[in-house]
Amino acid sequence: MLTYTIQRLLWLIPTILAMALVTFLVMHATPGSPLDPVAEGANPLSPEAQKNLAEAYGLDKPLWEQFGIFLGKSLRGDFGQSFVYKTRTVSEILVETFPISLFLGAMALAIAIAGGVTLGILAAVYQNRSWDYVCVSLATLGVSLPNFVLAVFLIVLFSFVIPLFPTGGWGSPRDWVLPAVTLALGPLGIIARFTRSSMVEVIRSDYIRTARAKGLAEQPVVLKHVLKNALIPVVTLLGPMFAAVGTGSFFVESIFRVPGMGRFFVQSMTGRDYPMIMAVVLIYGAFLALMNLLVDLAYGLIDPRIRY
Amino acid sequence: MRIPDEQLALFEQRLHVLGLGRRDFLKAVGAMAAFGGLGFATRAEAAKPFKLAPGEKLAKEQVLRLGGGGPWQNDPSSHDFNKDLYCSGVTFQFAGLMTFNAEFVAEPYLATKVQSNKDGSVWTFTIRKDSRWSDNSPVSARDFEWSWKRQLDPESKAPYAAFLYDIKNGEAFNKKQVTNRDEVGVKAKDDWTLEVTLEGPRGYFPVLAAYLAALPAHRGAVEKHGDKWTEAGNIVTNGPFVLEQWEHNKQMVLRKNPYFFGAKDVHVEKAIIPIIPVQAGALPYENNELDLTWLQPGDLKKLQSDPRMQKDVFAYPYPGTWYLLPQVTKPPFDNLKVRRAVAHAIDRENVVKVSQGLTIPAWSMIPPGFPGAVDDPKIKAIQRYDKKAALEQLKGTPFEGGKNWPRIALSMRDEGLGSKPLAEAVQAVLLDSLNMKTELEVLEQRVFRERLWKQDLQFVWIRWFMDYPDPHNEYFDTFYGKKTTGKRQAWANEAFDKELEAGRDTRDPKMRLEHYKKAEEIMQTDVGYVPVAWVARFAAAKPWVKGIEKNKQGQNVIDGNIYVDMMRHIYIIEKG
Amino acid sequence: MALSTPASGTSLAAAGLAAAPSTQTSNLWRDAWRRLLRNKLAVVGGVTVILLCLVAIFADFIAPYSYTKANFGKIYEFPSREFPLGTDQLGRDVLSRMIYGARVSMLVGLGAQVIIVMIGVPIGLVAGYLGGRVDLLLTRFIDVMYAFPRLLFVILIMSMLGAGLMNIFIAIGLTGWVGIARQTRAQVLSIKEKEFVEGARALGAGFFRTVTKHVLPSALTPIVVSVTFGIPEAIFTEAALSFIGVGINPPTPSWGQMVGENQQYLRSYWHLCVFPSIAIAITMLSFTFFGDGVRDALDPKMK
Repeated sequence: MLTYTIQRLLWLIPTILAMALVTFLVMHATPGSPLDPVAEGANPLSPEAQKNLAEAYGLDKPLWEQFGIFLGKSLRGDFGQSFVYKTRTVSEILVETFPISLFLGAMALAIAIAGGVTLGILAAVYQNRSWDYVCVSLATLGVSLPNFVLAVFLIVLFSFVIPLFPTGGWGSPRDWVLPAVTLALGPLGIIARFTRSSMVEVIRSDYIRTARAKGLAEQPVVLKHVLKNALIPVVTLLGPMFAAVGTGSFFVESIFRVPGMGRFFVQSMTGRDYPMIMAVVLIYGAFLALMNLLVDLAYGLIDPRIRY
Repeated sequence: MRIPDEQLALFEQRLHVLGLGRRDFLKAVGAMAAFGGLGFATRAEAAKPFKLAPGEKLAKEQVLRLGGGGPWQNDPSSHDFNKDLYCSGVTFQFAGLMTFNAEFVAEPYLATKVQSNKDGSVWTFTIRKDSRWSDNSPVSARDFEWSWKRQLDPESKAPYAAFLYDIKNGEAFNKKQVTNRDEVGVKAKDDWTLEVTLEGPRGYFPVLAAYLAALPAHRGAVEKHGDKWTEAGNIVTNGPFVLEQWEHNKQMVLRKNPYFFGAKDVHVEKAIIPIIPVQAGALPYENNELDLTWLQPGDLKKLQSDPRMQKDVFAYPYPGTWYLLPQVTKPPFDNLKVRRAVAHAIDRENVVKVSQGLTIPAWSMIPPGFPGAVDDPKIKAIQRYDKKAALEQLKGTPFEGGKNWPRIALSMRDEGLGSKPLAEAVQAVLLDSLNMKTELEVLEQRVFRERLWKQDLQFVWIRWFMDYPDPHNEYFDTFYGKKTTGKRQAWANEAFDKELEAGRDTRDPKMRLEHYKKAEEIMQTDVGYVPVAWVARFAAAKPWVKGIEKNKQGQNVIDGNIYVDMMRHIYIIEKG
Repeated sequence: MALSTPASGTSLAAAGLAAAPSTQTSNLWRDAWRRLLRNKLAVVGGVTVILLCLVAIFADFIAPYSYTKANFGKIYEFPSREFPLGTDQLGRDVLSRMIYGARVSMLVGLGAQVIIVMIGVPIGLVAGYLGGRVDLLLTRFIDVMYAFPRLLFVILIMSMLGAGLMNIFIAIGLTGWVGIARQTRAQVLSIKEKEFVEGARALGAGFFRTVTKHVLPSALTPIVVSVTFGIPEAIFTEAALSFIGVGINPPTPSWGQMVGENQQYLRSYWHLCVFPSIAIAITMLSFTFFGDGVRDALDPKMK
């Protein structure tokens, strides 16, 4: 187990390096330069001003040198100055915003797991009967509408029609509810359906039939045997799901004014904020890889058949 | 000058579209005589005594929450306007030599007197002695000399230093051709006198001094904190407000600056600005989380149809023009007749319908109410909508009868505020009048700009927002043929350029206007561009927000692309 | 039934009857079909999918108006007798635009899936089947591609390629093949060791033949399921792109574009966003039920 973990961690390094290289190349290949002024009627910078700016950004050096410098600096946690927020460093910005996205993501995931597993179990136990259809439909509804549409529905329902929550912001716990729920609905649906199909598979399997044949009562059968085995594949879902949800959904964070890092995903692109793009991609990648590793380790602990 | 009845009727229609009624229309007609006034006031208007309307009582807590709909949709990169004009910081923290009043006329602010030499190449500003920074140090002419030189300093790497290139040796200093900053033509002759020597006669210079790019920075704070001098706690301002708290990406809180020279007339004690992405729409305003907000098209309709909030909505001046650029270097637009056909094919009345009040038909560059607006029927007729004339023009060209059109891509920049439906409407009328099929190409901002400046685009749908209210900005900065960088189009015309140069160098306001009018005529006849629509913008304010200035047309004037210092006048009354 | 009794399977292979695997597979398909028909939700889903495809194909005949015809006098109208689903900013009929939009949305879904399958399946197959160093290299490659935040990459690619329908397929396709590659590889790994494949190899079947005739059909299950879920997912991604502003350009209508661009009008001209949202939701639901049904039907352990 330990060697496996170490092996996986070691593999992280070349993976992240490869990601950095690909992102770096694609980024520089995209037309549109960060030296162009951001604003409306602004004229292009004079060649001198452009040269100055390029020097300040380090863009005047050859590409391979820029990449090397970037790698060196990022090892020390310095991702450089943001091209868009010119007076702040990328690390500064991300240190403030990443924990918020993480927190929102964790809440959303908690809701998704609680709701999804419950719906999935109900659907599986009452398979092909009305409860099944109800649960599956409910679950799929959350996945079938884009979350920027769902967000508005929820706001209209719970801010205006039933004034329970504010339309956004991130001050008190009340602000957390709507964005977390909106973010949770998609994963909830996926978890519900996955749980259902996994449980159905297990319910029909031989060893459950054996348990029933032995005369064990229904509920303990379900709870003890079915659930434990059915949840194993569901666990594999959670890793990448948390990575996706924990780095912040651009849409949910924008509509609910959550000061997380999700908005930088799109903003850094349109602003050609190279340091931010690199940092965001690498953080996402590293986080995802870490989550995958944790999930695989958990898998190993839960499923006795798996030995590393 | 009496305006003919048909025009008055049309004008009333325009105002109606903007949400103004008959009474406003009559007020506006009275003000029409003042249309086309150019220049700036050399003395500040005497401050009107503050008076509450009958039944109004000042609220105990003078707190204004504003934001949303566009401004501050992202965290500002700083509040350093001196170094970065487009930092999207909070404007009402600083005060410049001049400011814009509600008529968008530049008038002295920190300066008490503005004088020039005979040809307008040397300007002298006398600065008031009672204005102070928020650390109680006096604001002097030396602050302005230092700040402007800081912007021009190549070490500052200020991206918009070109704004001050009219100052003698300003460009040379910025481009390192001159290394001694004392050679730059801005000098504090003493603590209270600022003398600015320009590259030549520049009749509009005081107008520039009213603009954001001419705001000062606090030398002490900059030298102590460097780039972080605008963080709350570090920042020192000389305007009505100062930043007290800044939770990045969340919100900003500003407090009244007690040392501001006009502090006793400022009522608002605290301003709260939450950072609201544009995707959130007007939801916070509707939920009473904001008192004042700017509106996007989607929100406009919602609020206008809500009986509780209808009266909160108002249009405010946001001068800008939508126009088409048929690229004269790319077929089929290299043919003047084709360009003329396009000009006659644009059914402006119908096109603006899709914007539901956010635009009105335009027949020239400068919108009515602004210095340099043209109201000449001769000019209006040059590119009037006329389907028959449009097809007539095609006779003798390979595209006669609207056939054989090559592939035409209409390119635009990706942005909101109804730009795309307008472009689609243009596509529809071109198809209708000329059988000209076009593909709409929505380009990302930077890609668009790169290709625009290379004149790589065949047919462009573009807008220009006024930076400062002077025809120089509308014509010279956009269309001057001899520009070396940042030219939006390949079109150039000798006679046109000459008129612009004359306009720049003349001091007599009336003569200047004549030059620009001639320029407009030349440009329209040669179809360097096709004006389509003028921009209108909307905002909403809760009934307890008072003190928003009105201009002579009776429109509410708030900070838009031209900053008018609205926070000086706003006050909150008790919610009745 | 043949597969659940290993004894008969091995003896058949041992007997060297090349026909054996194919009768097994055709039995599998027939059984699957029967199972599918019994699942009511799946049937409803499948019928809806077929209906959608028909609408997409025959849009020209079904749509009451042209999707470009602008009526400036009738903009932003709510549903009426003349325009059953209302009109949009240019007075164009929303119903007609939605009918043509079905075509574009289906194209986006299918186009992206074609690219995804064309890239992902071969990579998964080769990695799983060949194993060893090739597998190691390819798996690392898959991991790296997997770790990229998808939306960011799609935006990057769209910025590089520019707008246009083809480019959207490419962008969504280039970033979405990872899942299918992994699943194909996993399936191949598990099937590789199964007896009938060994038997076929023992009979001298070459690499290509083994892969296409024996391995692929069984690996088909996750592929079919993946494609079924991937189509509505591509439509979703396209809506997200339009919301950000890098999606399909006018006047081409697509559901994703109609939803993304009109989200701001949800509280005033709700019909502009709600109807395409419903269409996307129905598409998603029907593909989901159908996909679930297909997966359940193809699962040999189900009765």
